Amino acid sequence: MSGVRAVRISIESACEKQVQEVGLDGTETYLQPLSMSQNLARLAQRIDFSQGSGSEEEEAAGADGDAQDWAGAGSSADQDDEEGLVKFQPSLWPWDSVRNNLRSALTEMCVLYDVLSIVRDKKFMTLDPVSQDALPPKQNPQTLQLISKKKSLAGAAQILLKGAERLTKSVTENQENKLQRDFNSELLRLRQHWKLRKVGDKILGDLSYRSAGSLFPHHGTFEVIKNTDIDLDKKIPEDYCPLDVQIPSDLEGSAYIKVSIQKQAPDIGDLGTVNLFKRPLPKSKPGSPHWQTKLEAAQNVLLCKEIFAQLSREAVQIKSQIPHIVVKNQIISQPFPSLQLSISLCHSSNDKKSQKSATEKQSPEDHLYVLEHNLHLLIREFHKQTLSSIMMPHPASAPFGHKRMRLSGPQAFDKNEINSIQSSEGLLEKIIKQAKHIFLRSRTAATIDSLASRIEDPQIQAHWSNINDVYESSVKVLITSQGYEQICKSIQLQLNIGVEQIRVVHRDGRVITLSHQEQELQDFLLSQMSQHQVHAVQQLAKVMGWQVLSFSNHVGLGPIESIGNASAITVASPNGDYAISVRNGPESGSKIMVQFPRNQCKDLPKSDVLQDSKWNHLRGPFKEVQWNKMEGRNFVYKMELLMSALSPCLL
Amino acid sequence: MRPFLLEGGSVSQMPVAEGKSVQQTVELLTRKLEMLGAEKQGTFCVDCETYHTAASTLGSQGQAGKLMYVMHNSEYPLSCFALFENGPCLVADTNFDVLMVKLKGFFQSAKASKIETRGTRYQYCDFLVKVGTVTMGPSARGISVEVEYGPCVVASDCWSLLLEFLQSFLGSHTPGAPTVFGNRHDAVYSPADTMVQYMELFNKIRKQQQVPVAGIR
Repeated sequence: MSGVRAVRISIESACEKQVQEVGLDGTETYLQPLSMSQNLARLAQRIDFSQGSGSEEEEAAGADGDAQDWAGAGSSADQDDEEGLVKFQPSLWPWDSVRNNLRSALTEMCVLYDVLSIVRDKKFMTLDPVSQDALPPKQNPQTLQLISKKKSLAGAAQILLKGAERLTKSVTENQENKLQRDFNSELLRLRQHWKLRKVGDKILGDLSYRSAGSLFPHHGTFEVIKNTDIDLDKKIPEDYCPLDVQIPSDLEGSAYIKVSIQKQAPDIGDLGTVNLFKRPLPKSKPGSPHWQTKLEAAQNVLLCKEIFAQLSREAVQIKSQIPHIVVKNQIISQPFPSLQLSISLCHSSNDKKSQKSATEKQSPEDHLYVLEHNLHLLIREFHKQTLSSIMMPHPASAPFGHKRMRLSGPQAFDKNEINSIQSSEGLLEKIIKQAKHIFLRSRTAATIDSLASRIEDPQIQAHWSNINDVYESSVKVLITSQGYEQICKSIQLQLNIGVEQIRVVHRDGRVITLSHQEQELQDFLLSQMSQHQVHAVQQLAKVMGWQVLSFSNHVGLGPIESIGNASAITVASPNGDYAISVRNGPESGSKIMVQFPRNQCKDLPKSDVLQDSKWNHLRGPFKEVQWNKMEGRNFVYKMELLMSALSPCLL
Repeated sequence: MRPFLLEGGSVSQMPVAEGKSVQQTVELLTRKLEMLGAEKQGTFCVDCETYHTAASTLGSQGQAGKLMYVMHNSEYPLSCFALFENGPCLVADTNFDVLMVKLKGFFQSAKASKIETRGTRYQYCDFLVKVGTVTMGPSARGISVEVEYGPCVVASDCWSLLLEFLQSFLGSHTPGAPTVFGNRHDAVYSPADTMVQYMELFNKIRKQQQVPVAGIR
């Protein structure tokens, strides 16, 4: 040992752990060694209790020996050994099967005995009846059928109900959607006509004329309301509209401006209490939604209010000889003496009280609709003016103001033109002027008509022009005699009716200015009619071949007429024997004298001077004709008869 | 626009030579008008300022700059007229005066060149007559008579009417037709025509400045 180098021998214990598998890389996976208890359990499994029973000691001893041997040997080899033993045994014992059966029966009996003894003690084990589903009674199948039918029916019903619910839900949803859609389309239509804007969750609209140039401070806002919470079950009314508008309370109802002219001043107590009678609301046009009429009415109220506010402001500001009176909702002005123009704002809400009181006193004829309409026109013109004065674009160098004003410098307008641009005549002044004109015109018409109906001879014809200015209109007055229109048309008058006065243009170019007084026109026409008669005689004389000896429109002799002057004409018959002298005055009427030849006058005293017979051809004294006893329907006809009577018979 | 006639009322042509002052002659004329029945309607004023182009903008040839006249007429209170001799007439609004201040570099105001006529405005039916004293600085240098006939817009159509009317109070001192109408007979009369006539009158009076006519003072 000492001299020889020790050889190293490595000793490795045999693998105690069984290899379960070897991986491809050579690693071995081991099975974990069995624990003691597991090992015991395994060993116990191997024991064949049937073999080693207590009846044969020998066997048991042999078995024990075997068991000892087996303990060290591999399990698989043991198994093989045992099988070999079992195969071998039947040949050993021919009654083996009997024995086996007996044995097993004994074992079972022993077990039964043990169990029974244990059970009897009731200490460790008890016998309990095994619960077993009792079989359903005889009628069971029918009940079962019923139940199952019920169940399936209930299921079907549930499905149906569910479906129905869903359907109704969708239907209502549809309806709501439809309403919503209607609302939106209505809103769209509203949007086409009115200015709308959204403020928060509200939709507000604009009623005012501000965008058109109005300076009225009223905000004029209306609110658009969604009117969809209607009961769907009930019948939807025909005029139902998903969109509604809410109008400010002071613009509700209907309003209009009333302009009237009264002859005499009313009591002071009556002032400012113009009846607020209600005109029926205009029926909405078919096809236009009711909000449209509602908004239009409200806008009209707003406009009327603006007009009235403007008028009353001007009425207070303007200084006139007779101050304008503004009381409550009425403006009173005196355009002519003893004549009163009243402009009032009538605003009626929808309550019935005002409606009732209205119908009692309503007198339709004192309405001047033309002026009411013109007021609306004027305010719109006013709006336009304010709009155009601030209109852009605008030259940077030019002063602000009206466009024509701006151009007046470069276009070299003279003073008159600039004045006409700057005319700052207010609404009230204009309307008073128009009222004056309208009044003057109607009074002129009335005067002419009354004259025409009162006086038959000569006749008056008035031809009114259809087209007038607001401040001027004209009428042509013809004075004629019936039946002689062709020869007697000397008097043709053109009456230009202005604001304060009437200008009369005569046929020959003379211009006479008459004031607004009714009497002046009447007197003038009367004097013209009286002149007409004399003119007619002159014309007639021409036709009949008589000679005009003298003619005068204004005779300075005789009684003085209170109206105008008398006119006179003297005409001589063609052969000079007779002469007719006519004097016609507007007041005194006509006086006709006929002069006879001297030789026809029997009662004429013989003159000492005119001895010679040739003097008999001189005309003698005048004799008055009893004109009202003459035959003939009018003056000219009578004159014609007279003339023809005095003319020598040509035959 | 109204046709209009400007009488070249220079001193030598007026009866001033007979030994009366300008003031007396004006009084004589106005008295005649009043006797005719003309109505007094306030006053009128036409002024004219001369500008010449600044030296810096002139060419090197030494040519004389054009003269520009800036005029105002109280008949056209919102307008301002700028005229060149024989040249165009510009009508502008009164802001033009401010513009001229800005244009100092190009147009310079001639010193003591302001000439104006002031007087009374008379209305006689359709005729508008303005008799004025032309002054330059402190001294009166002549008389201007302007006659306007309202209803007519073509000057040549009413020229003889104007002439006849003038004869009624000026006697034999009636002028010939203004040169403005020389080449265009049917043209519509414009305010610029009035201003051209005033400019010509002022120039005429300015030229007489050197030889003062006896009887002015």
